[in-house]
Amino acid sequence: MKQNLITEQKVFDEVKKAIVETLRADENEIKPESSLIKDLGAESLDFLDINYRLEQTFGIKMARHFILEHVEEAFGEGSAVDENGQLTEKGVALLQLRFGDERAGFTKGMDMDLLPTLITVQVLTRGVMDILESLPDTCPNCGNAAWKTEDGAKITCSSCGEYAPFANGDDLIKQWLAAVQEEKKIF
Amino acid sequence: MKQTLFNDKVALVTGSSRGLGKAIARKLARAGSDIAINYRKTGGSSQAQGEMLCEEIRGMGRRAILIQADISKKESVKKLFQEIVEEFGRLDFLILNAAKAPFKPIERLLERELRQLVETNYFGNIFCLQEALPLLEKTQGTVVFISSLGSRFYNPAYPLGSMKAAMESVIRDCAESMSDRNISVNAVCGGLVKTDSFKVLRQYWEEIQFIPDELFVDPDEIAEVVLFLCGPASRGIRGQTIIVDRGLSNRLYRSIKHHEA
Repeated sequence: MKQNLITEQKVFDEVKKAIVETLRADENEIKPESSLIKDLGAESLDFLDINYRLEQTFGIKMARHFILEHVEEAFGEGSAVDENGQLTEKGVALLQLRFGDERAGFTKGMDMDLLPTLITVQVLTRGVMDILESLPDTCPNCGNAAWKTEDGAKITCSSCGEYAPFANGDDLIKQWLAAVQEEKKIF
Repeated sequence: MKQTLFNDKVALVTGSSRGLGKAIARKLARAGSDIAINYRKTGGSSQAQGEMLCEEIRGMGRRAILIQADISKKESVKKLFQEIVEEFGRLDFLILNAAKAPFKPIERLLERELRQLVETNYFGNIFCLQEALPLLEKTQGTVVFISSLGSRFYNPAYPLGSMKAAMESVIRDCAESMSDRNISVNAVCGGLVKTDSFKVLRQYWEEIQFIPDELFVDPDEIAEVVLFLCGPASRGIRGQTIIVDRGLSNRLYRSIKHHEA
């Protein structure tokens, strides 16, 4: 369902907070379009810290694997990245669908090691929002539709007190991939 | 300068800008050794942390250099050792600590991931061993490989364990073949450590939060065993892997305390 308990602004603020705490970055330098790696100096291990903080804050599970890993698992090695670790045309088409106009930087032959540099504060915020949108209509524990949040971050059932269950980030990516493949037949 | 055990010795710790490698580099420096710190990725937080560690060690009155090198590339390893020769002219301790691996079950590894796994964690360590050999022959030096419990026990999403197992075998082989040149070769197998790698493990092994704190090893506890293996007191130990895990792998018994919490 379209959850309306947690605002995008709140998610953005929490993403910012997680970045500040992990990277000791200057809060004022963190813009939606900031690349975590290029602009804020993050490394791959730092993403784990940032993700973990967000998971704790919202009670969610962020994706463990980047979208292209899922593509290659689903459609075979070489489908999105060639043997030299470079983006294929199909890989480009998929990433453009995924990231839309936010990032037009995808080109055929681009080194896949560069892809993480395209992860921005906005991309992370969207990732969290996508997971929060997977909130079921009713509580699977008691069947009531009575979600609430007290801190604007964790959603619980006001009827039975259970924490809200969300789809995990990897499953959402897989679902999205399956839907895109069904419609566009990229691979 | 105070006379210490490892005065005038030189150590290379691969992958030492953070985590366990950093703890080992510090410990060796405090014992008097000069240190070559190594990291892989340019321009990120590893380099920044490496630079800070370099300064810290120089502050102890030791020499320290920071060298970028990707051990999975033979050419890069050659340059790494050239720099050590140019800066220090010798090498006494080779600490094989660097590791890099994807986190997923082995059955799901892509060919590329599988090759990278072997290239860094097997080839890379052997490249280092081979390039270090002429230097270690001169100093009758020491090799210590850093292993993990994944070498012998199942860890979720931990293909690195298979490489650790292979390296423990390499260590046995080298200990014998290099013994005629008085090069000592051993390994330290760390248990659960709360370094950066813990952050990864935590993602795939949620129950890890129920393991009591007293079973987590402090990086310094592992570093001290490395120090011991570099020192004269361990001269009788060859080709062994010493487990430093606070008894984690010794326990079949598990406390159920967390169920009450």
